Amino acid sequence: MPGEDTVMHAPRLTLQSRLDDLALVRPWVAALAAEHAIPEDTQFAIHLCLEEALSNVIRHGYRGEPNHAVTVDCTVSGAPDQAHELAFVVEDQAPPFDPTTSPLEEPAVPASIDDLRPGGRGIRLLRGFAGSLAYQRLEGSNRLTIGFAMPG
Amino acid sequence: MQISTEEMDGGVTKVALDGRMDIEGAAVVDLKMNLIAGGARKLLIDLQKVSFLGSMGLRSIVIPARAVRSRGGKVVLFAPTEMVATVLKTSGIDSLFPVHHDLAAAMAAFE
Repeated sequence: MPGEDTVMHAPRLTLQSRLDDLALVRPWVAALAAEHAIPEDTQFAIHLCLEEALSNVIRHGYRGEPNHAVTVDCTVSGAPDQAHELAFVVEDQAPPFDPTTSPLEEPAVPASIDDLRPGGRGIRLLRGFAGSLAYQRLEGSNRLTIGFAMPG
Repeated sequence: MQISTEEMDGGVTKVALDGRMDIEGAAVVDLKMNLIAGGARKLLIDLQKVSFLGSMGLRSIVIPARAVRSRGGKVVLFAPTEMVATVLKTSGIDSLFPVHHDLAAAMAAFE
């Protein structure tokens, strides 16, 4: 009904802490995209942010150890014909890591080629492409909420 | 991910990437990108058909590009789509390697 906020929860995505499992993300997002008419550009941002957040958990949080679970939940809040929000909640049991406040390795514009490191830009991209980013440390787990505004 | 090369006028090597430069895609092209970069003084990286670029994909472009530059060569990033261009801008990479959407301008950048 108009004006009534609805919250829809998508089926949870569970990954084991292996980079190979990142292949599960794409069909999961594709199903959401079809169901909620997510614009292409937003899908790009979602893929980028989830790839970054999940690969950080797998490679750094769990230090490459497999057999740890990482879950992704998606909630869609608000009415489909109004501006509303998609929120992805990534949760893991790795040691505390807050990508919203961790210091960035490199300045936004590297001074020169000599200063250019091979990597280290991922968190900057995560922060740049997420509509909103919020971190909570719960008992034993990291919870990262990545939000994207959806057009009405 | 597909990768192909073409030798163009003026000693320019064009490498064209086609597909999603996610973690998986980046791994597929890594070795070949570095081999191509190893032999190029003027490298045009054609991004027209790159539909996705994440941080690992970006790394697979930055490492070979940096290698060409460190040997005194030049690198041009060609025709990224809007979202890929946003990745290049957000990461600051567009300030180190010129991005051109017009082929004539891209080729002129090597002179």
